[in-house]
Formats: sequence, structure tokens, C-alpha cells
Amino acid sequence: MNFPLTDIVVTGFSAVTPAGNGLDPVLELIRSGRDALTPVPAEGAGGNAGRWGKALDFKATDFIPPLKARKLDRCSQFAVAAAGLALKDAGIGRDTLPPERIGIALGCGFGGVANSAEFLAGYFAAGVEGMSPMLFPNTVSNAAASNVSIEHGLKGPNVTQVQRFCSAEAAFMMACRFIIEGRADVMLTGGADDLMPLMISGFAAAGQLRRYAREFGEGSGLLVLERAAHAAERGAVVKGRPDSIRTVGLLLPGREAEGVDLLLDNTAQPSLVSVSGTASAIPAFMGRIDGIPALDTGRVLGSSLAMGGTAMAALLASLQPGQTGLHLAASPEGPYFAIRFSGGSPV
Amino acid sequence: MSRRRVVITGLGVFSGSGTNVPAFTAALLNGSCGIAPLDLFDVSQFPSRIGCQVKGYDPLDHFDRKTARKLSRADQFAVIAAGEALQESGVSGCYSPYEIGVSMGAGAAGMFQAEQWLKSSLAGHEALPGLLRGLLPDATTTVLARTFGLAGYQGSVTTACSSSATAIGWGADLVATGRQKAVLAGGSDALSLLTFAGFNALRVVDAAPCSPFSLGRQGISLGEGAACLLLEAEEDALARGARIYGAILGYALAGEAWHMTAPEPSGVNAARVMREALLSAGVEAGRVGWVNAHGTGTPLNDVVESNAMKLVFGDHVANVPLVSTKAMTGHCLGAAGAVEALATVIALNQHIIPGTLNFRGRDPECDLDYCHDGPRPSGCDLAMSNSFAFGGNITSLVLSR
Repeated sequence: MNFPLTDIVVTGFSAVTPAGNGLDPVLELIRSGRDALTPVPAEGAGGNAGRWGKALDFKATDFIPPLKARKLDRCSQFAVAAAGLALKDAGIGRDTLPPERIGIALGCGFGGVANSAEFLAGYFAAGVEGMSPMLFPNTVSNAAASNVSIEHGLKGPNVTQVQRFCSAEAAFMMACRFIIEGRADVMLTGGADDLMPLMISGFAAAGQLRRYAREFGEGSGLLVLERAAHAAERGAVVKGRPDSIRTVGLLLPGREAEGVDLLLDNTAQPSLVSVSGTASAIPAFMGRIDGIPALDTGRVLGSSLAMGGTAMAALLASLQPGQTGLHLAASPEGPYFAIRFSGGSPV
Repeated sequence: MSRRRVVITGLGVFSGSGTNVPAFTAALLNGSCGIAPLDLFDVSQFPSRIGCQVKGYDPLDHFDRKTARKLSRADQFAVIAAGEALQESGVSGCYSPYEIGVSMGAGAAGMFQAEQWLKSSLAGHEALPGLLRGLLPDATTTVLARTFGLAGYQGSVTTACSSSATAIGWGADLVATGRQKAVLAGGSDALSLLTFAGFNALRVVDAAPCSPFSLGRQGISLGEGAACLLLEAEEDALARGARIYGAILGYALAGEAWHMTAPEPSGVNAARVMREALLSAGVEAGRVGWVNAHGTGTPLNDVVESNAMKLVFGDHVANVPLVSTKAMTGHCLGAAGAVEALATVIALNQHIIPGTLNFRGRDPECDLDYCHDGPRPSGCDLAMSNSFAFGGNITSLVLSR
């Protein structure tokens, strides 16, 4: 499926990751060849040794009043913090735009799992007396996007997507479409995920650590999208633009080449590639981008289902004006996304 | 880009109120309530012990043992409902598999199995890893794509109780804009201890079958099931001689930015979304025959939705019944929007407005026409379906026959 884009620009981005707050620490890690991964504590993780990208230095109260922060699950805290940074980066304050004209489309893979486990653990331990009503509202996957909308006053389109390692890309596509349709003037989009030791235990039990991603990570990466004319009207700085989104759900046995062709057309080779999810493990993809410098945020931050938000923001932050970039995301069972970006302002 | 009219060429359902379209249609026409005592898990500790469960369900009636072991209860329901929709549509072989997408809404998904893993794991016992397979709500979409070889778009909307309404609206948009030839859209969800205990903890579950818009209502009754619609462009459907059940004319969605669990009381945001859905559909409010409500049966929801109706339809509101099919199906959470869209399309085709069952008495704060007297004949050809959710997510669909 090809989704060409002609009039959308990126006017802000942000990240809250194991590397710290903002894109600079992420890019610095990539440049240096180091990473932000730390040992998984054996306790609670089923004795599964290994490393993870845990945002150990993240302090929710740096971004959210303490009383409110206490009510939010960790994934929501990441998203609310990253949303504040992204909106600030885009020069959008509380009163800049009518709230009905700003929305959010968020990829969120693990959101709600931690609260679900904690709520159920209380019930298993002590029956109905052990249930905590406070935990239940944040057991839903859309808690992060909803908490962003509540904390930042966004009353426009609001949606959460989960689709394997391409959750943020699926959300990004919806955000672009909502702007094209005129449902919103500004869309926040990207991804957020949190991690807890029990999840590592679950990943290990399900064989994920052997097969797909040995090192998982948490955090949030967001972008601010709007029409070029809208950005110009409010004097926003344009940081880049998405040029097209291509996606296929499966690579059909015996027809894989057809699927790869639908995803990766023969337009000019990009200056820089971002590989996300399990893209780097697919030879048919890597063969097409052989020799092009690649950013692999998963290597330095750990992988997560919604890691594409940070990966796309890192790609854009790395592109010089006039350079083109390709964000390539994949999941073991599909889907697959190829999103092309241009750096700088489309003069 | 010109928009194409999106029609529904296949319907499929598997729920506690009917395990195929004919059975579900009969329940809708007869006003049969599927809410009854639950036996899927132990509910003896809770004040409410009822729900709309798919009773007597045996996966081996539908799947071989190996396949059944790989799929969560929600994924199994989805495969059965999708199979019915695809079979009925006759779409197989008409388009390249790369031109057919899957857009599903999900909620608790495979939690029913995953919580068994958690319980064993917390107790220090060896837990079967397969129980985690369907935990994440995107598993259903992946399973459907692989089972039916649909290689186009894959996406899962997870906005709690509005998930599958949005998934249908979004799926229709992919077809309307020509990005996909067809999209299998809908939702699936299964009862789980997490949601049953959670809603009980919030004290929003009625001990008796839910009675939306009635005096003395105490809250929801939970349900489970899957509903799927096969969406295509009208010109393509006509060209291949497909039967057309109805059309997705438009949709809208928003976040209230108000509260995680309570709707904004005036209904102003719900009304805005309903108006935007009508605008997206290009139809005047006066053409709407009735509205399939979110209609959970909680004291607050039903008043807010009634308020929103008054804001949208003004003086004309008395002529637009607001009905809740949740009194028949229970609240199917991630599948609710799809089950209700399907009920709406069936009712339009059957020339009826469904009734809102389990009436207990007239609430002065709910002073509209809710069809509490049962299903009634209707010649209208256009209806809306509302879905609200935790987090303030609101979606409204505009459907026609």
C-alpha cells in the first residue's frame, strides 16, 4: 500500500529514553558506538539474565506535578513527558491552537500490561479485598494517549495503535491521514512503552528473547505533524517532512519479492536509513539498502513495540536539509513499513 | 483524492447473543437478552455474577487441536466471525492478497489465557508459555491476516471500548481513498477475570442484566464476542456482483481530555463527534433514523449520551430513538463497536429499530425515546452508532443500508 504525502511537515520532536531526555543523548550514543543498556535484575524476571533499556534516570515529577504523576502508570508518564517536550519544541503552548484541532495517534505496545499484572496480583493474593480500583483505569492500552490528551488538553482525534514492532508506524500513518482529511491541524504521533521485570519473564517464556529481540527497552519518542501552510502561518520551524508511507502486512510465501517491491520502490536511494523492529534481520530489506549509513536505535536503547517513534525522530534529527531518509520497520510476522523523509524545510 | 463509497459485502459474528449472523439476527428481531450466569471463571466473590458469555464453547468444534492451542479465546472468536464474513462476501480470489487489509479493534484480547499464566507464575509454578501468545491486543489482526492470507494493511486500534468502531471507520477510509481494494474490519474480545474484577472494583457492574436508560440502572453487564465486516468500494462490489448489506458513510473520533473513567457531563464532546461524523458522511442530522447508543447502563453514561443527542438533533430529538443493543449482547469492550455496527446494519436491512431490553422504569434524566417497548418496524435507511471509552475516547459511525 502506497500513501504518498505532499504537504505535511514535522515541526517538533522529542524523546524520553534510557539515554536521557531529548534526541541528543540518543544520537550521541549511536555516534559513539556505546549503548544505554543495563543488566536486568534477576528478581522478578524469572532469573533471566540479560540487558534491557531501562530509563533509570527518568523522573516523572520533572514533568508532571507529583500528585498527578502518582496517578499515572509509567508508560503514561513517559508519554506525557515526551508530549510536553515535543509540543514545546514545536512552539505550541496551551493557548496556541483550539484544543479540538490538536490530536494524538500513539503506538503503544506494552502499555497497560504492568497495571494489569499488579491489579491481578492483588486479586490472586487476597481476593476482592486485594483489588485496587485505582489501578484498573490504566490497564487499557490507550491510557498513555488519553493521559497525554488530559494533561496537555488535546481534544482532537485520539487513537492508540498496537501492531507488533510497527505500532508507532501504524499510528504515524493515521496521524498523517487525519491532517490530510482536515480532522486536525496538529497531530502528535510516535510511540510509548514501559518495561517491568515480569515482562522479561514473559518474553523469555514465550521465546521472544531467543527469536526476536534479546534486549527490550522503554521510553517514548514523539513527533509533531502539521500542514506546511499551517506551520508557515504560525511561524514554526520546519525540521523535515514525510514524503511517503508504504506498508504491507505479510510477505506471502512464494510471493515475497512482490511484497518487498511494494514496500521499497526504486526511487533515489536515501542518504540515511533508520532500521526499527526486526528490519535489520530481513536480508531482502538489507540487500536493498546495502552501503547506506544506518541508524539502529534498538541497538542502543533496546527494542520495543513502539520504538519507531524514537527511531523516526532520531532519523529526522540526523538529516541535513535536502537529505533524504528511509525509516524501515518490520515485525517477525508482519507488518512492514517503509517511510521516506526529507530533512529541513521544504523551501 | 476522490473518495469512493464504501459498502459492506460480508458480515460475520460470534457472540453470546448469536454465533452466526442468522442466530444474531433472530435474537435482535425477537429481543432476546443473552445475559445469564457466567461459568467461564469463578465469579462467586463478586456482587455481579452474570454476563453475555459464549456458552458451551468448545474450540475443537471449530479448530484442530494444534491450532486451538495457538489461539487465544478472542483470536478464535475473530477467526470464526471473519470466516463467516469472508465466506459470505465471496471476495476470495477477486483481488490480490496485497490489496486486502485487516483493521481490527481489540481490548482485553488474550487476557483470559494470560492471567492463567500470571497466576501460575506468581505461585512459583511452571506456567505454559503458550498462554501468553495472545496477550497483546494486536495478535488478533496478525492471526486473521495469516489465517486468511490477507497481506495488505495490518493495524489494531486499541482505544478500549471504542476500538472496533474506530477500526471500522479507519478501514473504510483505506478503501474510500483507494489505498486498499478491501478491508476486513471489526473487533474481537473475550471475557476475562481482569475486566470482570476491574469493573466490579469500580462498582459499575449491575447485579441484574443491564438496563440502559432505565430508572435504577446500576451499570454494565459484560459480554464477549467478535464481529467482522468486509468493506469494499461500491463500484468494485457491483462489478463482481457482490451482495451489498450497507455502507459506511463516515466516522469521527476524538478524545475528551476530561477524565480517565468519567465522561464530560454536558455531552458537548460526544455531540461534537457525532456532528463531525455526519459531516464526514455528508448527511444532514435530519436523515438519521435512530442511533445505536454506547448505552452502557451506567448512571452517568446514559444521561451524558442523552444530552449529546439533544445537542445534535435539537427539536427533532424526539423522532430519533436512542437504543442500546448492549442490553442484549452485554458490553463486549474491544468488540463492542463492531458488534453494534453489525447489529445496526442488520436492523437497517430488517427494517426495524432494535429495542432496549430490560426496562425497569422511566428515568426523568433519560427523557428520550429508547424503544424500551421492544423492536419496532422502521423504514429508515440511515443510522449512527456511538462508542465511548475509558480515557475519553469517542467514536461515532454513520451507517446506511
